[in-house]
Amino acid sequence: MARRKLLGAVALAGVVALTAAACGSDDGSSSDGKKTITIGFQGVLSGDNQQLGINALYGVETAVAEANANANLPFKIRLVQSDDAGSPDQGPTAAQKLIDNSGILAVVGPMFSGATKASEPLYSQAGLLSVSPSATNPALTTLGFKTFYRVIAPDTVQGTADADYIAAVLKAKKVFSLDDKSDYGTGLSAALEKELKARGATVVHDGINPTKNYTSEATKIIAENPDVLFYSGYYAELALLSKALHDKGFKGVTVSGDGSLDAKYVEQAGAAAAEGTYLTCPCSDANSDPNAAAFVESYKKINGGARPGTYSGEAYDATNALIEVFKNLGDNLSRESVAEAFGKVNYQGVTKLVKFQPNGEVEGANDFIYRVKNGQIVVLGNTVDLIKS
Amino acid sequence: MGFADQFWQLTVDGLMVGSLYAVIALGYTLVYGVLQLINFAHSEVFMLGAFGGLFAARGLLPGGATPSGPASVGLVAAGLAVGAACGAAAAFILERVAYRPLRRRSAPRLAYLISAIGASLFAVNLAGKEFGRQNVPVPDLFTNGTLFHVFGAQVSTQTVVVLGAAVVMLVLLDRLVARTRLGQGIRAVAQDADTAVLMGVNVERVIILTFVIGGLLAGAGGFLYAMTFNASYNMGFVPGVKAFTAAVLGGIGNVRGAMLGGILLGLVESYGGYVFQASYKDVIAFLVLVGILMVRPSGLLGVRLGRAA
Amino acid sequence: MLTPARLRQLWVCLALGVLAAVVTGPGGDSAHPFRALRRSVVDPRIGIFIGLAVGLWVLLIAVARLRPLLAEVTAAARARRPVAAALGGPHATTGLNAVLLAAAIVAPLLVSTAAQQSMVNDIGIYALLALGLNVVVGYAGLLDLGYIAFFAIGAYVTAYFSSSSAMPWHAPFVINPFFVFPIALLIAALAGVILGAPTLRLRGDYLAIVTLGFGEIIQLLANNSDEVTNGSRGVFGVPHLSVDLPGIHYRWGIDPLPYYYLLLGIVVVVMIAFGRLERSRIGRAWAAIREDEIAAEATGVPTLRMKLLAFAIGASVSGFAGVLLATKQFFNPQSFSLQSSFLVVAIVIFGGMGSRLGAVTGAVVLQGLAFYLRDKVPPTDRYIYFGAVIVVMMIFRPQGLVPSRRRRREIELAGTTAGASDQLGAAPIGRTIT
Repeated sequence: MARRKLLGAVALAGVVALTAAACGSDDGSSSDGKKTITIGFQGVLSGDNQQLGINALYGVETAVAEANANANLPFKIRLVQSDDAGSPDQGPTAAQKLIDNSGILAVVGPMFSGATKASEPLYSQAGLLSVSPSATNPALTTLGFKTFYRVIAPDTVQGTADADYIAAVLKAKKVFSLDDKSDYGTGLSAALEKELKARGATVVHDGINPTKNYTSEATKIIAENPDVLFYSGYYAELALLSKALHDKGFKGVTVSGDGSLDAKYVEQAGAAAAEGTYLTCPCSDANSDPNAAAFVESYKKINGGARPGTYSGEAYDATNALIEVFKNLGDNLSRESVAEAFGKVNYQGVTKLVKFQPNGEVEGANDFIYRVKNGQIVVLGNTVDLIKS
Repeated sequence: MGFADQFWQLTVDGLMVGSLYAVIALGYTLVYGVLQLINFAHSEVFMLGAFGGLFAARGLLPGGATPSGPASVGLVAAGLAVGAACGAAAAFILERVAYRPLRRRSAPRLAYLISAIGASLFAVNLAGKEFGRQNVPVPDLFTNGTLFHVFGAQVSTQTVVVLGAAVVMLVLLDRLVARTRLGQGIRAVAQDADTAVLMGVNVERVIILTFVIGGLLAGAGGFLYAMTFNASYNMGFVPGVKAFTAAVLGGIGNVRGAMLGGILLGLVESYGGYVFQASYKDVIAFLVLVGILMVRPSGLLGVRLGRAA
Repeated sequence: MLTPARLRQLWVCLALGVLAAVVTGPGGDSAHPFRALRRSVVDPRIGIFIGLAVGLWVLLIAVARLRPLLAEVTAAARARRPVAAALGGPHATTGLNAVLLAAAIVAPLLVSTAAQQSMVNDIGIYALLALGLNVVVGYAGLLDLGYIAFFAIGAYVTAYFSSSSAMPWHAPFVINPFFVFPIALLIAALAGVILGAPTLRLRGDYLAIVTLGFGEIIQLLANNSDEVTNGSRGVFGVPHLSVDLPGIHYRWGIDPLPYYYLLLGIVVVVMIAFGRLERSRIGRAWAAIREDEIAAEATGVPTLRMKLLAFAIGASVSGFAGVLLATKQFFNPQSFSLQSSFLVVAIVIFGGMGSRLGAVTGAVVLQGLAFYLRDKVPPTDRYIYFGAVIVVMMIFRPQGLVPSRRRRREIELAGTTAGASDQLGAAPIGRTIT
């Protein structure tokens, strides 16, 4: 017995040593005399949704790397990450970690609405600014969070605009509205269905938790024979759904929201299955917008060739808006001054003009319609203009 | 658009998924049969097999148009073979790392469960790190389309390939357990390990081979699954839980029970998701499970592996 | 001397070294599946890992060589047994407990607020859950994989009774969350009985899968019932705990520390209560059921009723924890996933089945490890290390960190093949008498 225990202890020590050796320390104090400003990132970096977190984190890192390469800026940016796994349980710990670090002046995040609701009371209490790139639950700006802003429009904006487009331009009489039962999906489908019904369309609702098997769901959708299928969820699932529908010969039009606006959608569904799908977003898509080509290039360069994905552009804009604020404030940098000044920021980002209403909602979010044509996502235009013409 | 109109289509859909559950469930049931423990890391064997098969098929795929005819058959066979080999290797390593050391120490049964969960966490997240966290589709290995109709239901090439491969594997395994010397050994250990030792069965070898057989099936099943849907680092968990449920439904430790349980579960999900809101389909599947266990407390075919077949 | 066994050990060490290099190396993507692997292995860094692996191997040999010497020393020490005597007496246990309690009281004051948050959300609540599950798994020997469902029931019951705005569905009156404690306890216990009554005649793993299904059903129902539980949007705005007695007014806020001390108090009370329970007639009945259900039945133990009791008691503790979660912060159905159920089971086994101190220690060590790794490794890799530690731990200490005395004895007996025991504790292979 004694021998086993000893061996065990030795082996454990060995593992720990190996690990410790590998994780060298990384402190990023700048060497060229510039002062360093620290910002935090709170997002989904582990668990099933970590790809979305990585998209956003890479967006933040792109902005940070660009700022640090910019010789004209009087400061360097240092980034501290904090993982909340997208869950409300981990939210407070993740937020508190950033709050505890008194050098942190602002945070990009949290990402998911659930984690946001759990974390924001802490940020409000600490007076630390947090800018979410992706939390779209409409209620978030009504819960009394004092330092919460988001660079993405709430579900209601997108859902309503999409419904208008579907009714006015696609002239759909019957819409099958499918959501993924997530906070985001149910919020979007609820807003969409409300507006569609107001416009007199027949709506069939169904919800399905994210899965890989959409075979029988495809059967169900085809049996209903809708003009339009609207999926409220993310591209990974929409790709599988499109594939299943394509295999079974679905004749209707598929539309989905900003969670699906990602080049990976076409790649994963296959060009044939994705062809003709409408994707909408209250933002402009960096990959298809010629103005954002510089962003895509530098994103790819900084992140080992990865292309921007869902929420990358928003995170990039949020970070750049913060940097803009730091620049304007000069030496008067504190959590209070940053939180105070951020409400008045006016910065043209790659996804939208970052400018806020008093409640922290981004102003004048326009809903854009995209479509998959010949395997590429191309922009059709602004919903309002498309409906008018 | 009542349920009756779509019944046959839903049956075809359910059979395809159910046959995949059945293939994975066999791994659970075999290991349970010989060791009386739930191999929770089996889902990761499945995932690694899927990636193995995917990379092999992608590597062998000539560029350009979707292959057809013999080329398609060859590519699917290669994917299945490499997937199975990767699954077997993963299962072998798993047994060596997470199970055998515990067996040597006569650990309590639940310790295996936990080391399996640990191994599973390790494998999932390492796969995510190595292969990325995006879903990876298997490129088209054949032109998928409706082959024929059964009672008005479309049957696609995909369905035929998956069902065909699964049925072949199920029959082969059934014969293996029933007829071969190895099968005899497995059944002997399942029935009474101590007596089996006295009868000259090499228990260690039987255990290893049981894991390897389970891994072969799970790996090939993983490739079929990835071909039908796609592969991702976290693809194992859900079908793993489903297959485990299927194994219990049929009577855990029972080879034919696992097959039956898998098919039944696939059908119940398909019907349940149609009749009710689709997000309730797991609720319905579990309610059916509870209902069946109430009537037959040890599963549908509830005899042990030792006495089966 | 290079015996084949030593050489094999070297191979294992080298394999571990390469694995460590891969784990800590760069990440890859599916377009180039083996690029990350190649970059971690074909890299100067690999030298460090090979060196460490060889070092580990040499260390193992050295330890093996020194073993006789060490054995002598320990034997000599044992002969004098100053430590053993000090630790062995009945007073020693009390003393040890006092020291542990003092450490638990002081510990949060020494760490950051973030760590305090984790000590409430991850450690405290999960310690309580593990204590409850320990009754079911450790005492009665029933594997429950859907234990988190009762946690959910406790949390939703709290929202129902203590707020008129948190959920669409709420009681016609609002009561102080403190009064919800007994209600949640009763409702969770009732849910335990409702689940248990029809299912407890199932054996072993059949029970495991049914409870797993129950956990899934509760989570899916919570997530799907938008009009009742607010679905995936979750429950926001349950009031914090507060005491409003004449003379005493106190409100728990969003500060984690007061919650920590409240949790600590509850954990201590539950530990004391379960200690008494374990030694009572009921506890002995559970032990009998665990060891041999048929024999227990034959000697007049009302097995079904005792198992139901274990289920109800375990569930009620879980419901209790649910109240704490609901009053502390926002929650949504994500908090009650199958993975959380597995985590609680892992904590119980990791700590040592059937041991109250083990359950708490398991929560501290496992969840503390997750917190520690948060800053030490890239977050996306966190669970690689977490999984590896669990496997290593189970290999070298399968009985858990602080095994109960009875369990330790069972394992020793199983090791000497003198008799295996119950459904969950038995060694699957290598037993001779069943």
